[in-house]
Amino acid sequence: MASYNLNEILKQKAGKTEKTGSVGLDDVSRVKVLSPGRQVFKRFMRNRLAVFGSGLLILMFVFSFLGPLFYPYGQKEIFYKYDTQNVNYALAKEITSYTGYKLSSDITVPRTVTTSINSMAKKLIAADGDGALLVADDDAFLLNRINDDVFNLSSVATRKVASVGSGSALVGTYDMIDDTITFNGQKIDGLLEALKADFNRAGGEFTFEGVTYAYEKDVAKSYNIYSEMNGVVMYDTDLPASFEGAFEKAAGSKAYSFVVSGKTYFLVESTNGYDAYFVSGEKAAMVFTRLTFNAISSDVKISDELKANTLTHIMDGTSFKVDGNSYVVAESEGLMILKDENGGEIAELSQFSVRRYTGEDSIEYDLKKEIEELVLTMAETGAKSETLVYNIPLQDESGLYTYDEEGNLKYSEAELVITRRDTGEYVINCDQIIYLIDMFSPASKEHILGTDGDGFDVLARVMYGGRISLMVGFVVVFLEIILGVIMGGLAGYYGGWVDNLIMRMVDIFYCLPSLPIMIILGAMMDSLRMDTYIRLMIMMATLGILGWAGVARMVRGQILSLREQEFMVAAEATGIRVKDRIFRHLIPNVMPQLIVIATMGMGSVILTESTLSFLGLGVKHPLATWGTIINSVSSATAMAHYQHIWIPVGLLICLTVIAFNFVGDGLRDAYDPKSKR
Amino acid sequence: MAKFITKRLLYSVLILFFVMFLIYVLMYNMPMSFVETKARELASRPGATKSYTEWLADLNAQYGMDKGVVQGYFVWLHSAVRGDWGDSWVWTIPVIEKFNDTVWYSFVLGLVSFIFEILIAIPLGITAAKKQYSFTDYFTTVVAMVSISLPTFFLATLLKYVFAVKLGWVDLTGMQGRDYQFLSTFGKFLDLAKHFVLPAVTLTVVGIGSLMRYTRTNMLEVLNSDYIRTARAKGVPEKKVIGKHAFRNTLIPLVTMLGGSLPGLFSGALITETLFGIRGIGYASYNSMTQADIPFIMFYLAFISVLTLLGNLISDLLYAAVDPRVRLS
Repeated sequence: MASYNLNEILKQKAGKTEKTGSVGLDDVSRVKVLSPGRQVFKRFMRNRLAVFGSGLLILMFVFSFLGPLFYPYGQKEIFYKYDTQNVNYALAKEITSYTGYKLSSDITVPRTVTTSINSMAKKLIAADGDGALLVADDDAFLLNRINDDVFNLSSVATRKVASVGSGSALVGTYDMIDDTITFNGQKIDGLLEALKADFNRAGGEFTFEGVTYAYEKDVAKSYNIYSEMNGVVMYDTDLPASFEGAFEKAAGSKAYSFVVSGKTYFLVESTNGYDAYFVSGEKAAMVFTRLTFNAISSDVKISDELKANTLTHIMDGTSFKVDGNSYVVAESEGLMILKDENGGEIAELSQFSVRRYTGEDSIEYDLKKEIEELVLTMAETGAKSETLVYNIPLQDESGLYTYDEEGNLKYSEAELVITRRDTGEYVINCDQIIYLIDMFSPASKEHILGTDGDGFDVLARVMYGGRISLMVGFVVVFLEIILGVIMGGLAGYYGGWVDNLIMRMVDIFYCLPSLPIMIILGAMMDSLRMDTYIRLMIMMATLGILGWAGVARMVRGQILSLREQEFMVAAEATGIRVKDRIFRHLIPNVMPQLIVIATMGMGSVILTESTLSFLGLGVKHPLATWGTIINSVSSATAMAHYQHIWIPVGLLICLTVIAFNFVGDGLRDAYDPKSKR
Repeated sequence: MAKFITKRLLYSVLILFFVMFLIYVLMYNMPMSFVETKARELASRPGATKSYTEWLADLNAQYGMDKGVVQGYFVWLHSAVRGDWGDSWVWTIPVIEKFNDTVWYSFVLGLVSFIFEILIAIPLGITAAKKQYSFTDYFTTVVAMVSISLPTFFLATLLKYVFAVKLGWVDLTGMQGRDYQFLSTFGKFLDLAKHFVLPAVTLTVVGIGSLMRYTRTNMLEVLNSDYIRTARAKGVPEKKVIGKHAFRNTLIPLVTMLGGSLPGLFSGALITETLFGIRGIGYASYNSMTQADIPFIMFYLAFISVLTLLGNLISDLLYAAVDPRVRLS
């Protein structure tokens, strides 16, 4: 193919003339002719702002596209750090409430009973009673005091033997419509039948099981039933003679039980006095205690079954078997110790509990004892806080114990601070190493711009963010140009109705408010929880579709003037195909303007993208763009404290857009020196 | 002239018709789950005035969402033309009422920054053109470029950081001070004005660049024209050349452009208002957009489109009115 480069031809000519030796004044080789491209380049380089812009752009590209290759961190890499934190290590307290352990799985104890144990146990201790009867709806339970710390609860069968009372008390309400009695306290079987046997609508009296009941109209069809009682009513006929006196005495002293001729009777409060019950058939159900098991060796777990059995055998000193092993409870040096068959100490039973703050029992026995001692002296002296230095197992960042190579616990000396709370508990604090996400760390050697709120390295995010921002700019502008050139080319070349149609479309697209539409789309994709990459694609496509109108208008204008020129007439005359005429002859002539428009467009697309991302409606976490980086620290507090994050990134956006504009401006001047900037 | 205006008006209406259709299609194709979720959210808000089904029924009645696209569009157009724009979902008052509440704040904000833009940009642009390639020229060019390239949100954040956080001169966001209720009428006005300072500065700085460049380009064109050369050759003093001959001719495109941007003063500044908490139409519509408030969004988009078309119309007419050489046909 023949070269059309003027310089080449000139050189060839110059070569020929050189052979002749002399160069004339008017010789063509004296004239230096620049190709159009080099002319543009030369003019471009003369523009200082444009050169500055190009330099800036090259820097930006190197920074965002090559930077990540050499930078050690990724955009989604989360950084952690070690820190010490003063944590609640343990809680020490004297146990005053009773905890229950099940002895038999066959018997279910109603909640009303279990919840009343605490107060009942305290009442029993105060009254120095040995046992009390607790009556739930259909079941009865006997609470036996083994000692002040341990109570035994058994399910029993009861028989009401006598009642004592004075005055009248509301027993229940009889509803004529439902034909039922709603009892105020204990249910009395057979009362309904007794009432109905001789019923008078005006009210009246009747006797049932030796007790006199009165009823009177309360509201329509409803009667209040009162029991009238003065003195003792016996239900059992074979009671000893001394019963009545003993019963009245016990009721008078509000005792829980009394003994008559070797038999124990229990008192239960009734509506207007007391009922005496005789109990039989005790079946052990639960054991309640305010003791806690302090394991002497911390790797032994004491099962609830063992605990329950230990408690039932606490007084008798005999050995018992649980799961095939035999145990014994013995008292030594004032401490209750649970031992196994070889005499090995397993746990100490004590009212004083020291537990990890989480509630788990993993504190060494010795430390427990030390804390207990200290707390007791604190209670004496009334000190609010004490310090204790002790070797405690070293914990790692996640709160787990650390072990050395041989599998032994690692220890470290720690300062334990014991503080009394107003609730009477003692809380033990110590410093603990924790491992946490390195959020908002200031600039350091590892993180030149620090880290952001997610523990990401800001510089890495800025690099990757630049990649996406620049890429979005390229893709969108490319789309705009493609669409704009096709539409504008068709409109300009064909004219007529095609032109009219396309230009009306351009008008319509010009009129569409693009930012609101992008915001709506973003909010929509937010609510659909769309994948962040798909969002990115949709966003780019939409921006491209909304932006082609300007390009099309420019291309059409250019082509309208170009197609009247001679070379197009020539192209038509030589019969070149329409497609080639448009895309090979017309479009290349529009290229300079296209390049300028594309460069400027890149800047504005980056602006739009970062604005959307800043609003949280564009590219989403964890993908980084410059807008999202600023968005992550845009709240009032973050903004005030983390200016080292958002100011550099904001400047970066600004610089990139400026650079694109400078270059675009420079290119326009260089292509068309006659036009004014 | 009258014929031209009529033609342009009809043409604008036609374009508006299609623009609205495109916007309607966008709304129509909103995933129903999105709309339903938002309607549910609204209905479960404390003090919600309508139930979830009521919201959706309203939407269908107003927008014909249950009909085909074209049919639905006409249903909506029918009520829209009669001025019935429905109730806003987010603000729970009629759209028009919300519009009246907010638009004037936006207009004041827009007008103030528009005036400042003109006062700053035009003299600077003319000075730059007078001394082309001087330091002033380069300085102006760079300032214009920075202004064009500055992201609004970055400038707003920067201003907030400096003046609200560091210096504490103004509040971070909002339109009224804490003790607004106890101020006198004049005090209220001052308080409001104080809160409008930063947004107005933001809008001015962001808007200055393009106007400055436009002025400079046109002034350069005029200065290079033959009649200026003639005037200079005649020995007309430079002051008169610039002030009388050049400036007046530069005014032609400037007035056209500025006239065209007048309707835009009502459109509100979406991002600036949102960031500074100015309860103008931009703020209202941003919140509506993120919460699928279809009635308000449709109204706002229609409103913006009308303003754009109106702007084009005005600048076309002004072009003819200002420059007697132009014949409309």
